[in-house]
Amino acid sequence: MWLIKNVHVVDPAQDLDAICDVEFDERIRNIIKHNANTQNTLPVDADSPDEHTVSGRKTSEAAPSGNTVQVIDGRGKYLFPGFVDVHAHLREPGREDKEDLASGAQAAARGGFTTVLCMANTQPVIDNRGLVEFVINQGSQAEGARVWPVAAVTKGLKGEELVNMVELHNAGAVAFSDDGRGIQRGQTMLLALQYAQLTGRPIISHCEEDSLAANGSMRRGPQSARLGLTGIPAAAESVMAARDILLAEETAGRLHLAHMSASATVTLLGWAKKQGIDVTGEVNPHHLIFCDEDIGLTDTALKVNPPLPSAADREILIEALANGTIDMLATDHAPHTWEEKAQPFAEAPFGINAFETALSAVWMSLVEPGKLSVSRLVRAWSLNPARRFSLAGGSLSPGTPADVVLFDPSHTRVIGEGTWMSKSTNTPYWGKPMHGFAIATWVGGIKHC
Amino acid sequence: MARKKSCCWKGIKKGTDMLGNHKDLLGIEQLTSQDIHHIFKTAATMKEILERPIKKLPTLRGKGVGMLFYEASTRTRVSFETAAKTLGADVGSFAVTTSSVNKGESLLDTAKTLQAMKFDLIVVRHASSGAGEFLARNLNAGIINAGDGQHEHPTQALLDAFTLYEKFGQQGEAGHGREGRTSPDSSLFAGRKIVIVGDILHSRVARSNALCLQRLGADVTFVGPPTLLPPEMACCGVTLSHDLDISLRGADAVMALRLQLERQQSGLFPSVREYTALYGLTSARLAQANCATGQTPLVLHPGPMNRGVEIDSVLADSLQSMIEEQVTNGVAIRMALIYLLIGGN
Repeated sequence: MWLIKNVHVVDPAQDLDAICDVEFDERIRNIIKHNANTQNTLPVDADSPDEHTVSGRKTSEAAPSGNTVQVIDGRGKYLFPGFVDVHAHLREPGREDKEDLASGAQAAARGGFTTVLCMANTQPVIDNRGLVEFVINQGSQAEGARVWPVAAVTKGLKGEELVNMVELHNAGAVAFSDDGRGIQRGQTMLLALQYAQLTGRPIISHCEEDSLAANGSMRRGPQSARLGLTGIPAAAESVMAARDILLAEETAGRLHLAHMSASATVTLLGWAKKQGIDVTGEVNPHHLIFCDEDIGLTDTALKVNPPLPSAADREILIEALANGTIDMLATDHAPHTWEEKAQPFAEAPFGINAFETALSAVWMSLVEPGKLSVSRLVRAWSLNPARRFSLAGGSLSPGTPADVVLFDPSHTRVIGEGTWMSKSTNTPYWGKPMHGFAIATWVGGIKHC
Repeated sequence: MARKKSCCWKGIKKGTDMLGNHKDLLGIEQLTSQDIHHIFKTAATMKEILERPIKKLPTLRGKGVGMLFYEASTRTRVSFETAAKTLGADVGSFAVTTSSVNKGESLLDTAKTLQAMKFDLIVVRHASSGAGEFLARNLNAGIINAGDGQHEHPTQALLDAFTLYEKFGQQGEAGHGREGRTSPDSSLFAGRKIVIVGDILHSRVARSNALCLQRLGADVTFVGPPTLLPPEMACCGVTLSHDLDISLRGADAVMALRLQLERQQSGLFPSVREYTALYGLTSARLAQANCATGQTPLVLHPGPMNRGVEIDSVLADSLQSMIEEQVTNGVAIRMALIYLLIGGN
């Protein structure tokens, strides 16, 4: 049994944004909100056992007894429902040199995530029941965040034949995506959006039109022209988003747009929601923090797909996340080996290793400057993803599994070997100091990191 | 006789840091106009050496220059080798087709191997933008970028600008357009209009030339069809135009870029015939554009040419054409750069 005292709880699901004491074992048992009066006298209370401790114990009698209570002083810290990351590449099976399900789940827990969804573009592709079960089994032994597989939409990610969606859903797949490449044939996407309705699960669209994106390595614009790197026009994403939104309307299917990076995609998502189309969207922290102008010819850590937006598009993405047009944050955690990134820009693979820096990065770049409220952060990275993908978590409501994050806004770390859990280090923050970290993450009441 | 001429050679200060603080030449971006003029002065001396009956100096004896060419190139590689050998350096060449690069060795490992062989300077050409900068960050040896992807080709830009520098200087002495006034070197390019026509988007030559010529004070216009000259190319600070005839009016020099014929297959222009009609350089076109002044622009081409495509054969061989001069100046410029980078100590 854990008791976190005097901690600032932010839980939009319960409309809670206050100093509380929170008690949990494998489930959340009790949240005692300090009244305005007690809150005002907090500094005095700090010296001696006080009435709300007593009241906490009193109410805890309802919970299973017999455990010792471990008390943590949460003063100056936040307690959030565990973060839910709907977009990650854990590389197992096939590229365990970059990451595996265990290291990925542990890195996620260290970063404050209690549930992560892993994409199907492994080797072999997660397009059959055996591999869905493999991911779930490996994930359950990982001693980190809960891991749920996103199964492929099409066999082998070839964009042709649909996977056995119902069978894979029954085995535990929580969504379907050919993430890593766009589904080029409109008819395939239309059928996927229709057939997936048997499972009630969304199709996650990696919006990328291959002929427009062809061989590019960064967003097309003045900076790509200056550096002599082949540009990917923003329309390579937006034309596919438009197609998929119209197909979702046509089929009444459930659609989720992965890693939105262009202002036109934001406009399209806003329009779709007004039409009542069942579509949500996610944005990655790096698309909110960096832009194409930050890229230099040797900065392969910033090579990511979709590419970093223009500075103007970045502002529109931030605004859309803050006002709720974009529903959620997701890391698109994409580990790569040092050797792969130690190449000329055009030859290095796309992707940023994000689990252990993403929360701090968003805190420092968006929350602290006032561009994103704390409650919006929690809504976008915990509540909304949990709801959209029908996952446990997203709230600290009593009785729900204790997926909990204790967040210290002033905790500082230099990103480096000392604390790093992921197998790869391809982050633009390597060697740099950051602050604002999850200092403890509980998954079902079991404490990690 | 050779000894007497070497006085000039001694005119170059030795032992000082000769190209700013740079151990590498990665792009024009890093150079100031003073650096460029310093390179030109050095190149002028080198060019005299190339005119001698015995074209060999002992200056870089004991130094090694490695050639690492990942893209097919004859003229640039031979130009660098000639430059290094004339200065007395030893030259090692890694031709990609015969080296372990074909066995999957990474660029970094290959370059480290060259460094371990104690080459002082590595000349690299690679299909990826930034390959030179990548090696410069990872190696102690000096790097000269001999062309990286679609990014920069600084030695080509320097030799092109040096060619114009000499010609504009001669025009000045002859009183042409400058009222007999001998202008200081630093203002030779002021107010000059230079047109670069062709596949700008994919051209490292165009990028480096635009940076170099503008840094020297010239006005640069890029000309090409919209598919090969998209609006973002304005990032180079140049004027953009899709009309060659209008752009040629009042031009002091025009450079035609080599057209990669496979671009037509990717749909970037409908046919070679239409391209040539719109953007091919011909004597008639130059004459017509400048009938008002009677002065015809100098013609440059980085080679190798597609005669009859981007440049008309008659024009390529005409007096206006600087194309052979460019090749000679290429060796002089590369001698100057090799000397300035590794001749100091």
